[in-house]
Amino acid sequence: MSYSYFLGCVIPGRLPFLEASARRIFEKIGFKVGDQAKCSCCPDPTGAAQLDHETFLALGARNLCLFEESNNNILSLCSGCTESLKTVKHILDNDDEKKKEINLKLKVIGKTYKGDIDIKHFAEVLYENIEKIKEKVKKPLKDLKVAGHPGCHYLRPSEIINWDDPLNPKTLDELIEATGADPVEYNLKNDCCGNPVEKSDKDISLSILESKLKSMKEAGADCITCVCPACYQQFDFNQREINKIFNTDYNFPVFYITELIALALGIDTEKLGLNSHRIKVNDILQKIA
Amino acid sequence: MQMVDFEFRNELIKEDFSLNYCYQCGTCSSSCPVAFVTKGEFNPRKIIEQSLLGLKDQKPNVWLCCTCQMCVEECPQKVFLTEIFEKIKNKIVLLGEPYPKTFKMQAKSIIENGLAIPLTQPIIRRRDQLGLPKVESANIKELKKLLDATDFEKKIKIHEVSK
Repeated sequence: MSYSYFLGCVIPGRLPFLEASARRIFEKIGFKVGDQAKCSCCPDPTGAAQLDHETFLALGARNLCLFEESNNNILSLCSGCTESLKTVKHILDNDDEKKKEINLKLKVIGKTYKGDIDIKHFAEVLYENIEKIKEKVKKPLKDLKVAGHPGCHYLRPSEIINWDDPLNPKTLDELIEATGADPVEYNLKNDCCGNPVEKSDKDISLSILESKLKSMKEAGADCITCVCPACYQQFDFNQREINKIFNTDYNFPVFYITELIALALGIDTEKLGLNSHRIKVNDILQKIA
Repeated sequence: MQMVDFEFRNELIKEDFSLNYCYQCGTCSSSCPVAFVTKGEFNPRKIIEQSLLGLKDQKPNVWLCCTCQMCVEECPQKVFLTEIFEKIKNKIVLLGEPYPKTFKMQAKSIIENGLAIPLTQPIIRRRDQLGLPKVESANIKELKKLLDATDFEKKIKIHEVSK
């Protein structure tokens, strides 16, 4: 079965340059991905999904129905969306009673959830095509030390995500290696970036981020890479504020893994919209030139 | 004075039976990044203890869970803490107790736009410049029908002013 993008909210609405890098590299490795119209918020597993479980299931199931109708698997560009959609599928596929209840709700909009499509995080698909990526590398990102941040919803809950090791993940580092860069080991690699708790308490969110940045700095990283737009925003948008509050001097450029791969594949930087990054990436581009 | 409400505990157990398995070892709190930076002020073990005891008035900081699921992975008893916290949040919302307004703002945006972050004109132009396709969002009327079927607006008290 072919794949279509589930874009979510944050990437198309705030960080479209991340979407551009993803589309360019999937084209480049010859992996065809279509577009699915009429999707809603997944819904956000750290936000609206926390308010009412029934609505979480209904909204998620409606999105899944759209892909069932067009007969496509989901390729999600966001870890949060991936977790939400995989969770809804897991619950409805394993609980007939719940599935009946939700289908009764979906009936008002003329839809029925069946459960016959698959959901994948984009990095999962990249990892499955890692040999193809390596073959196509034109400009290896030599001597670039990258702190990979796998993030939470990419991995956990493992029972539902059913993918990389939830406490000792390897796939992101292997993707970093595929670009020719060096993944750095750092103490808090597996920790949350702090973004989700910003909705309730910004100080806590920034404190978590600061611990993480400190750990990356101690490990000698040149830049950060991640696979989720919430993590991306946390790292790229908040380092300046961290420096003011904690009297620090963090200045890590932040890349989506699709951007690092795009650079290694020799895709024109103009087409990637890298000038949209808040922490400027020029020094890194010079380093790898 | 603490109110003990076994009904609260029983409802939670009915929704997530794994609550029963907790033997209070504290592994969850030692793996929690929020517990770490708040020096234990946020304490997932304690929230589970209070839930087991049915101390329903003691659920002040469940919204500080960052949903990272580290506790769930590390729990030797396979207690689904993040999911239990989600059920507690659902109950707080349903009871009409205050909850952080950012959550309501996001829900409002989904009701009105179908998306947590609506597409603005500058972003639509930027998408064009980057050669990205037009995003065709969900039909709001259709979504509204579905959200009415789950009684979403009423459950989350969408029209009440939150602090």
